[in-house]
Amino acid sequence: MFMFPVQTTGLVGLAVAGNPHERLRILYTKILSVLQTIPKDAAYRKYTEQIVNQRFNLVQTETDVQKLQDKLNSGHIEEVIVQAENELSLARKMVQWKPWEPLVEEPPSDQWRWPI
Amino acid sequence: TVRPKNEVEQKQLCAFGEYVAEILPKYIQQVQVTCFNELELLIHPDGIIPVLTFLRDHTNAQFKSLADLTAVDVPSRQYRFEIVYNLLSLRFNSRIRVKTYTDELTPIDSAVSVHKAANWYEREVWDMYGVFFANHPDLRRILTDYGFEGHPFRKDFPLSGYVEV
Repeated sequence: MFMFPVQTTGLVGLAVAGNPHERLRILYTKILSVLQTIPKDAAYRKYTEQIVNQRFNLVQTETDVQKLQDKLNSGHIEEVIVQAENELSLARKMVQWKPWEPLVEEPPSDQWRWPI
Repeated sequence: TVRPKNEVEQKQLCAFGEYVAEILPKYIQQVQVTCFNELELLIHPDGIIPVLTFLRDHTNAQFKSLADLTAVDVPSRQYRFEIVYNLLSLRFNSRIRVKTYTDELTPIDSAVSVHKAANWYEREVWDMYGVFFANHPDLRRILTDYGFEGHPFRKDFPLSGYVEV
């Protein structure tokens, strides 16, 4: 335990991650490979690739965990790992839902009028 | 006194609304920002689970907290009930409202698979308005009496009810 830079994350239920760089590298490559399967002109693919590549570059260039946390500016590194896992599950679900297609159905004309 | 207009927040919310509308054009029918800086997404009912999952899981939109789930009854419309989800993002300190529509007989997908907090809120909407939620683990009455008939919050339900107590 004394090898870790911190003993605890301070957050309930989140253990300190051993080797976060490796975990993040794996997760980001998985996300990018899932994104390859969706059409290239989809806005989701464009923006998510942008975010993931930006974070991936930061992870690869910065080896110190504290400095990486500051640069990412997104809470603890364990929270960044959880967020990457969420993004991966979201990307897999997006492949099935295909939200980049045009609108499913127009609402009735008075549906969103307010005041009535 | 009048609340001062916060132009910066207005612009940020408009930009974020356009961002989400660009990513999910299949379900989002309209996006609006009120004058009090509240962002609202108006959704087709098929898109509840995709939109809520996107807002919860995407890195730019970590709306992990479901603050409220209610319904609004507007009897003059074809789809009289408007289901409203209020979400809060703790990471970015921002709120968003997601609205859908349904009528008395069409079920709507339950948000329990996305947010566990939706469980009792959906029971309340079922009890008070009569909106059925598909795939809800335990949809039963929560506020009305055990043998109660009717859905009290509907606009055509009289104030003192049908049964004398």
